[in-house]
Amino acid sequence: MRASKESTARPAASGAAGRSARARARRRATTADIAMMAPPLVLVAGLIIVPIAIAVYLSFTDWNGFTSPPHLIGFRNYVRLTEDSAVRHAAFLTLLITAVGTVACNVLGLGVALLLNRNNRINAFLRVLVFYPYVVGAVILGFLWSSILGTSGAVNAAVGAKHSLPFLSDPTWAVVTVICVIVWSSFGVNVVLYLAGLQTVPDSVIEAAKIDGATPWQTFWRVKLPMLAPTVTVNVVLVVIGLLRVYELILALTAGGPAGETRSFVYNILTSSFDNTQLGYGAAQSVVLMVVIVTVTVAITAARRRSEQAVAA
Amino acid sequence: MTARRVGRVLAVALLVLVMVGPLYLMLTNAFKSQHDILAVPFGWPSGGFSLKYLTDALTSPDFNVVAAYGVTLLFVVAVNALNLLVVGPASYAIARGGRRYHRAIMLVLLAGLFIPGQTLVIPVIYVLKALGLIGTVPGFLLFETTLTVPTTVFLFVAFVQTVPRELDEAARIDGASRYGTFWRVIFPLMRPVVATAMVLNSIGVWTDFVNPQFILGPQSGVYTVTTGVYAAISRLSTDYTVVYPNMLLATAPVIVFYVFMQKRIIGGLTAGAIKG
Repeated sequence: MRASKESTARPAASGAAGRSARARARRRATTADIAMMAPPLVLVAGLIIVPIAIAVYLSFTDWNGFTSPPHLIGFRNYVRLTEDSAVRHAAFLTLLITAVGTVACNVLGLGVALLLNRNNRINAFLRVLVFYPYVVGAVILGFLWSSILGTSGAVNAAVGAKHSLPFLSDPTWAVVTVICVIVWSSFGVNVVLYLAGLQTVPDSVIEAAKIDGATPWQTFWRVKLPMLAPTVTVNVVLVVIGLLRVYELILALTAGGPAGETRSFVYNILTSSFDNTQLGYGAAQSVVLMVVIVTVTVAITAARRRSEQAVAA
Repeated sequence: MTARRVGRVLAVALLVLVMVGPLYLMLTNAFKSQHDILAVPFGWPSGGFSLKYLTDALTSPDFNVVAAYGVTLLFVVAVNALNLLVVGPASYAIARGGRRYHRAIMLVLLAGLFIPGQTLVIPVIYVLKALGLIGTVPGFLLFETTLTVPTTVFLFVAFVQTVPRELDEAARIDGASRYGTFWRVIFPLMRPVVATAMVLNSIGVWTDFVNPQFILGPQSGVYTVTTGVYAAISRLSTDYTVVYPNMLLATAPVIVFYVFMQKRIIGGLTAGAIKG
């Protein structure tokens, strides 16, 4: 609340008494202000910012969760990270999932959004249908697909033992399956967001393109897609952040198997932290992931802003 | 033109098949015997459908689905209530205050926007241990509420800035305090943005696995739907008469709720993602 507004509200106050009354009112307003902002500030400071600092600290220790205090061991955790084949494999897999998944989710998301863009009952139903995985949650979706694609799952039971397919038991197949299930469970969100984006493209512009003789293909590439640029950025950022931290779905779908082949980066963090009680080592991996996610988000947003400025200039 | 139409129909058919297939399997196989699930996973069971497996899952001594529902629902309500109590007045103060420290506080509150909760679990355990709150429901609720702060602050502040300041002035002349002004005058106007925040937070809490699993922990004996299903299924993943009924029980109420609230839920997510 501003002091100037305070004074206009009390036109009767004047002179020295008025000044001190105003000062008192201002102080009271500031106190109320701080009291209002304090609770979330305490929560965020205590349970997000301090923990980030602690993660950095723990990453330089050998803390196992029980012995206190943790011993400082310098950069040993970070060095070990680069030499640990499990971590390297998980990092590679996570990047692969993120790269393929981001492209697939956005292409599918936009494609299906274009398919369902017209407003009618069937499309409204289909919109609800593609989005339902989001409310079911990754753990249950993982179990569901594991009971469909597992060795004795529905598909293999239906085709018979002779023709059974190693969806989750062969390392290469398992990676492909994991990526497909991830895309299946998350592209509905992209469909919904792209549909919202398409609503913002004015009909008049599309009409104008048609009158100018543009084919549907040209209308898409030259008119709709450029106008969707901000929507694309939102979708890409959301998918990238989501996939860099993929964990629950893999846990339920493959439990990291076969032989640890489908362990993601977060999977490894939580395994080294809790199953192997190496919380210091887990913290080092967490710090790396935080840095990667923040960097990627900032980079994508900055790149978008630069390209928007280039268009404006 | 007709080729286009055929392509469109085929694409829609494929989409429906891929999305409905898993639901169909979950629904039908929850009523079949293990033998029938393995023999005719997609078709009509020789032994007929039976409610036995569903009631077995409902009354299983290993995992009480109904209790898990109660617990999860309670967590959803508690986190939403705490979120509004904590973030509401703060967002109002930030939106109305033009000082530099208001902006600084806003930035601090947004700090968690890109920090994945899963990477915070380890150090948060450290903090909660120091506070004696690890493995307790209050500790869990505090952390879960904290994770909702960044997005909610962002949405609320943007909304309050569109509410005319004249309303505050009028309330103050009528003698309302700042809290009174917020809760009685501004908050009732925030219904759409509160609905958006509640949708995002509720789904976040409902589907959360990592925090109830690691902050609350199995030793607390408190299971949410996700951690309970995980505990029940991961041990018996090949006994499909346990797997399918449990999945159906965990999913069906959410799907029914979703079907009735789909406009709110999809709208809420869209608003949250585009503004956030």
